[in-house]
Amino acid sequence: MVHQYRSNGYNIVLDVDSGSVHIVDDLVYDIINSVKQDPSCSDESVIEAYSGQYPESDVREALEEVRTLQKQGQLFAEDIYHGAVLDFRKRQTVVKALCLHIAHDCNLACQYCFAEEGEYHGRRALMSFEVGKKALDFLVASSGNRRNLEVDFFGGEPLMNFQVVKDLVAYGRVLEKNSDKHFRFTITTNGVLLNDEIMEFCNAEMDNVVMSLDGRKEVHDRMRPSRNGKGSYDLIVPKFQKFAAQRKALGKQYYIRGTFTHYNLDFAQDVLHFADLGFDQLSMEPVVAPADAPYAIRPEDIPVICEQYDVLAKEMLKREKEGRGFTFFHFMIDLSGGPCVYKRLSGCGSGTEYLAVTPWGDLYPCHQFVGNEQFLLGNVDEGIVRTDIVDTFKCCNVYSREECTKCFARYYCSGGCAANSYNFHGRIDDVYEIGCELERKRVESAIMIKAALADAGGEV
Amino acid sequence: MKHIKTLNTRSLQESMKKGGCGECQTSCQSACKTSTVGNQTCEQKK
Repeated sequence: MVHQYRSNGYNIVLDVDSGSVHIVDDLVYDIINSVKQDPSCSDESVIEAYSGQYPESDVREALEEVRTLQKQGQLFAEDIYHGAVLDFRKRQTVVKALCLHIAHDCNLACQYCFAEEGEYHGRRALMSFEVGKKALDFLVASSGNRRNLEVDFFGGEPLMNFQVVKDLVAYGRVLEKNSDKHFRFTITTNGVLLNDEIMEFCNAEMDNVVMSLDGRKEVHDRMRPSRNGKGSYDLIVPKFQKFAAQRKALGKQYYIRGTFTHYNLDFAQDVLHFADLGFDQLSMEPVVAPADAPYAIRPEDIPVICEQYDVLAKEMLKREKEGRGFTFFHFMIDLSGGPCVYKRLSGCGSGTEYLAVTPWGDLYPCHQFVGNEQFLLGNVDEGIVRTDIVDTFKCCNVYSREECTKCFARYYCSGGCAANSYNFHGRIDDVYEIGCELERKRVESAIMIKAALADAGGEV
Repeated sequence: MKHIKTLNTRSLQESMKKGGCGECQTSCQSACKTSTVGNQTCEQKK
């Protein structure tokens, strides 16, 4: 499959099944389109078709370049992965990442929270050290020969149970000494309880910190008020700025992560607001909400959102040239060192290698399924008892979704989110159409940025 | 090539030979919790 599009003055050709990206002139762009329409077309018919528009010698030369890339497997490559990925998924499942719901409680009342003020359709609760310890033991025991293990402290608001976070990190370090495992700890926070002691601890122990901020003050405060209805922007931004500056100085990863909704479709301005506040590792995701929620993204919003991604991509390039560049998570594509095809086709790992743990030790396929008893897999004492559910997630990949087989972005989104599919269609192997549209646009924008950087002689 | 500038190699086919080690970061643990595997980097290539 070949996907070709024009963006920001570039003619871009993505050879989907090889992953090759080509920047081409108008003549090659037209020739590739002809070959796409009629794969069996002869060279002579192509030359005849375009010799009126372009000099014949140029047409012959361009066509030869196209044919060379075809022979090299970099253009019109075939999908040769189907069998290999199915074999890969038959391998024994190992667990390598846990999302620890360290607190089912929160000090904010964000309107769009899928955890319903942190409680996940259930009761308020904090994870005990004992439950967390069993979760880490379960992870080590279930991880097979995987060395890199990941534990994300999530909620609710994890800092409402900070002592247990500290104790579990210490326990993880003990486990590392007694095994060949390496723990990568991460934490997501709304910043309300952030203080110098917590920053110091996180700078020493957390590989990544995700700080939740939605953008401009009026945007953030509308969606992320405290329990008494007051906005949280003024309280958290100075702390986030201090924290991010510390981590940047230490060469440590962090992300300022926001959610945009129907209320701020001009979200590019919110991302740029992050940058103007001094942050340089940025992420902004579209809200996923019931279709009837007033803040939900609607199908008619898609053109506006796509235009915003264009605005953001162009501004990123401009700031990069000015020496004040920043990274935007959804525009990060590693063209030469990206994930292997097995990873790309089998997806995020939810329900198989990535699980969520509730404060009382129940296991779910991921944080978005927590509280839905249909997806309760087991618990940290007994391990996974519903292997039938794991098997359904195991079979969930790009090839199990018909829409994905026709989509050029399938090696980048990897089939999309099982939870979103379930929430919109009642099954985990369907697709969330709005998410698909936006992902396709983000892939196009990300590749355009690579093209522009290459054009400027920068690093691709 | 005069008419075509290629930004990368045929990386997907090549990844069939060496890929599948499973040591890469789980995508959900990075900067997203609601929406992209393709923007990670392979652990072997870091």
